[in-house]
Amino acid sequence: MFLHELKYELIVNLRAKDLILWLMLFPIVLGILFKVAFGSIYENSLFSSIPAAVVMSGENDVFRNVVDSVSGEDSPLLDVRYAEEEEALELLENDEVSGIIYAGDEVTLTVAGKGMQETILKAFIEQYTVYETIIEDTIKNDPSKLQAVISALSDDVSACTETPVTRGNTDQFIQYFYNLIAMVAIFGSITGLHITENNQANMSPLGARKNCSPTPKSVSLSVALIGSFAAQAVCLIICVTFLAFVLKVDFGDRLPLVYLASVIGGCMGVAMGFFVGSISVLPHEAKLAINMSVSMVLCFLSGLMIGNIKGMIAETVPWFNDINPVAIISDCFYCLNLYSDLGRFSVKVISMVIYIFVFYALGVILSRRKKYASI
Amino acid sequence: MAAVKKESGCKLMKNTVVKITDLVKRYGDLVALDHLDIGISEGEVFGLLGPNGSGKTTTINCLLSLLAFDKGEIEIFGKKMNPTAYDIKKDIGIIMQNVAVFDELTVYENIDYFCGLYITDKVQRKQYVNEAVQFVGLEDFLKFRPKKLSGGLLRRLNIACGIAHKPKLIILDEPTVAVDPQSRNRILEGIEELNRGGTTVIYTSHYMEEVEQICTRIAIMDKGHKIAEGTKDELKRMIRNTETVTIEIIGLTEEVKAKIAGLPHVYQTNFDGTKLTVCCSGGKHNLIRILGVLQENELSFGRVYSELPTLNDVFLEITGKALRDKGE
Repeated sequence: MFLHELKYELIVNLRAKDLILWLMLFPIVLGILFKVAFGSIYENSLFSSIPAAVVMSGENDVFRNVVDSVSGEDSPLLDVRYAEEEEALELLENDEVSGIIYAGDEVTLTVAGKGMQETILKAFIEQYTVYETIIEDTIKNDPSKLQAVISALSDDVSACTETPVTRGNTDQFIQYFYNLIAMVAIFGSITGLHITENNQANMSPLGARKNCSPTPKSVSLSVALIGSFAAQAVCLIICVTFLAFVLKVDFGDRLPLVYLASVIGGCMGVAMGFFVGSISVLPHEAKLAINMSVSMVLCFLSGLMIGNIKGMIAETVPWFNDINPVAIISDCFYCLNLYSDLGRFSVKVISMVIYIFVFYALGVILSRRKKYASI
Repeated sequence: MAAVKKESGCKLMKNTVVKITDLVKRYGDLVALDHLDIGISEGEVFGLLGPNGSGKTTTINCLLSLLAFDKGEIEIFGKKMNPTAYDIKKDIGIIMQNVAVFDELTVYENIDYFCGLYITDKVQRKQYVNEAVQFVGLEDFLKFRPKKLSGGLLRRLNIACGIAHKPKLIILDEPTVAVDPQSRNRILEGIEELNRGGTTVIYTSHYMEEVEQICTRIAIMDKGHKIAEGTKDELKRMIRNTETVTIEIIGLTEEVKAKIAGLPHVYQTNFDGTKLTVCCSGGKHNLIRILGVLQENELSFGRVYSELPTLNDVFLEITGKALRDKGE
């Protein structure tokens, strides 16, 4: 009887149109939109070479070599065009270059604006001038140290040592994908609502018919929950797989744990819907509306729409992020990505498991062995 | 209101399948079931007849332990009914007023699913499902989803889901609402066939013709009360009317009408200008006597009808209102 019911529960769930729409198609479309939107932001923020005109007003092979080296790399600092002064001025006037470098006995710069590119050009020329002066002084005063000086100038010297705090992906936009998965997980509450709708006699003729059968309600509810958990797991596995392998979202090197957290989060969503549905005072439509509204608000507060909301909540009401189911799910991925130890991740997973048991227990208490006041 | 023999208390019969005693159900101030007593014997097709809101569906929901009630007792197969009485439930088939099937499953899958809630043996279940499919005539629609079925076919599927496990007691709550005449006849024939096989049937409806056609015993309900119970003949005998004669006639004078009203067994006459209606109580040759009066007075007439009382007449005489509103 159990397996018979489970078989049909799975078929019903996987053929349900709202499940396919909200838990499969919607996250895929939203994921693509995120990828496209963030992709263009990345492109806009990439460093591009600074166009500059170089007017050789005398022989300066050293400078020419330096300019050639910084404009010939894979990611060149400068995009240099050698020109006569007249042509260079025309290029500057037409905004085709950001500045004109005059290279003779002395290296000077002419710019037409005060932007980032002009500032970088100025810094480049100043650094070259300083290095040139140091080398000339060394040749003049102590030529034996020339090699040591050149070597020292070639090294980047900094008083700070860069120590990475994480081996994970620190991309600021990754949290939107975390929240997307969390949203899919919490939308499992839609299938959770169907559980009560199909098993409570006062909510549907189907529920009434099932209540008249000799199958104990606890069995029907358990089967329905397991079936919904399984269907929700399938949806989340598809979602994470699509994001990780099709959209190439970098979830770090612990992908199996990302799948695990997603599936547990999905089970929490189903259990939440089951609990809400078991509160039999309201009609199904009202429950659905409340469920969707609450889910969307929780998603908003976890940063699905505006990234820094979660940070603001962490500063003002930090406990809320610990009880917001959507925030708990997205924090799981965050912990997995940023922290090498699994301590924080485990706490979040345990929180989700507790939520599942509490929602399930409350739902069963509200649903079992019930006679209804009205049908 | 005519003198009606009102039942008090539940008749205790041999092989009683259902026994409802002193059942009271209130919705706030509204009394939906008012001290209802019903007894149903094995092999009966028991009809619950009444207008919408009379308490038929509430009775069924209480019977199935879906609805909490304020007072009374319900026994099925000699055992007290409650939500966890699974040994009772396994022998009951329910066909709800609203179609209760999964939109996501095909016709075959739906029947198999509901049958599987009662029958665990796969081989037996397969046989039962195939028999149910044949019984309702859905062989050509096995792979159809419910949304692709017409209203009549959907009702048949609903019935198949309720009877596939071969229950001893089948409860049908207005199964023919919004069904075309062809499907309705098929459904009624099916119920009679199930009953011939020994199944006890409880049938609720506000269509008196259906109840008259298939029910061996009938309880008429109104406003939560059982106002009469018996076979259709017993019920008809409870009322004064035994025959209603209708004659199309023009130019009927008050004098002739008075003569007809004075005939033996005639207790009511009505003439609307074209049609004379005469209600008779008892007597064997009422029509001949009425036509005789018309011929004596040299009045010509058109079509003539003589109708025996219906359950609607019973309901009308007891409550002063018709079973169904016009157009229903």
